[in-house]
Amino acid sequence: MEIEVFLGKIKAEFNEDYDTGDLGLDDNIKNMEWWSSMHALVIIALIDTEYDVMLEPSQMKSANTVRELFTLINNIKG
Amino acid sequence: MEFLGLRNKKILVTGASSGIGKETCQLLSSIGADIYITGRNMERLEELRDNCKNVKQLIAADLTDDDSIESLVDSIPMLDGVVNCAGIIFPFPVKFIGEKHISSVFRINFNSQVILNSMLFRKKKIQKSASIVFVSSVSSQFPYEGGALYTSSKAAIEAYSRATALEYAKYSIRSNVVSPGLVKTKIFEKTMEASSKEELENYEKNYPLGYGDPIDVANSIVFLLSARSRWITGQNIILDGGLTLGSK
Repeated sequence: MEIEVFLGKIKAEFNEDYDTGDLGLDDNIKNMEWWSSMHALVIIALIDTEYDVMLEPSQMKSANTVRELFTLINNIKG
Repeated sequence: MEFLGLRNKKILVTGASSGIGKETCQLLSSIGADIYITGRNMERLEELRDNCKNVKQLIAADLTDDDSIESLVDSIPMLDGVVNCAGIIFPFPVKFIGEKHISSVFRINFNSQVILNSMLFRKKKIQKSASIVFVSSVSSQFPYEGGALYTSSKAAIEAYSRATALEYAKYSIRSNVVSPGLVKTKIFEKTMEASSKEELENYEKNYPLGYGDPIDVANSIVFLLSARSRWITGQNIILDGGLTLGSK
């Protein structure tokens, strides 16, 4: 799994409603002005759908950037 | 508490290891009911048994397995009441829902409860004049974002309860639902882990009386189990600290 592909999937998920063009691998997505717990759910669901990994809410809370999420997924998948 | 007349009444409580189920057991024990408990966490069930003098039987059962449910039903005596507390919360956005998500939520929140109660009837384990209580959620009528599966499963169990009430009224067996709003349980804490402190504080403003405690729900469950509610069946009691009044 390529990290850039993962970033692209996250951007594609939100770009209909928000400007995600500047979102980078190390940006804190939870600092985006549009961020809410519903977006956390969307990312959890996206990761489950695309990578068959179901994150616990606490895991989602601990990851703040796309890179951290990517690392988390890889760690879980082994 | 003799007012409720539940002393020595035999009550089965599912999902007894934590939250509303555990609180209901403690309340039932305090008023002398005989309790039969089942749940997922044996360690916590044993702890509950040690702290509640009236726990008559602790049954290890996987309610997602039909054979396990049958063993449970075979092992218990005729019941005066059933409290269905077992359940999971699974927040998930609408557009990502697939078969596996539907199955995982409905298997616990709907299928297992239906199979258990139907089997209790079939094996004649429900006394005449018994009372059955299901724990739903205020969100089945007032949904929240991400709650499509959970709220659907709760709406389904509410419909099952009403049909049960209708079919068994001829035996004076009653079936009712309590629908709490947010109650401070371990499940609640886990669900809220994904939310910020600010979101939580803002959301609590929707509750004129604040978030609930498990005892607030247990009190109503015990009332519904008692003969004091003998003319109430097929109903859904909303317990929401004023959430649905619509004020903010």
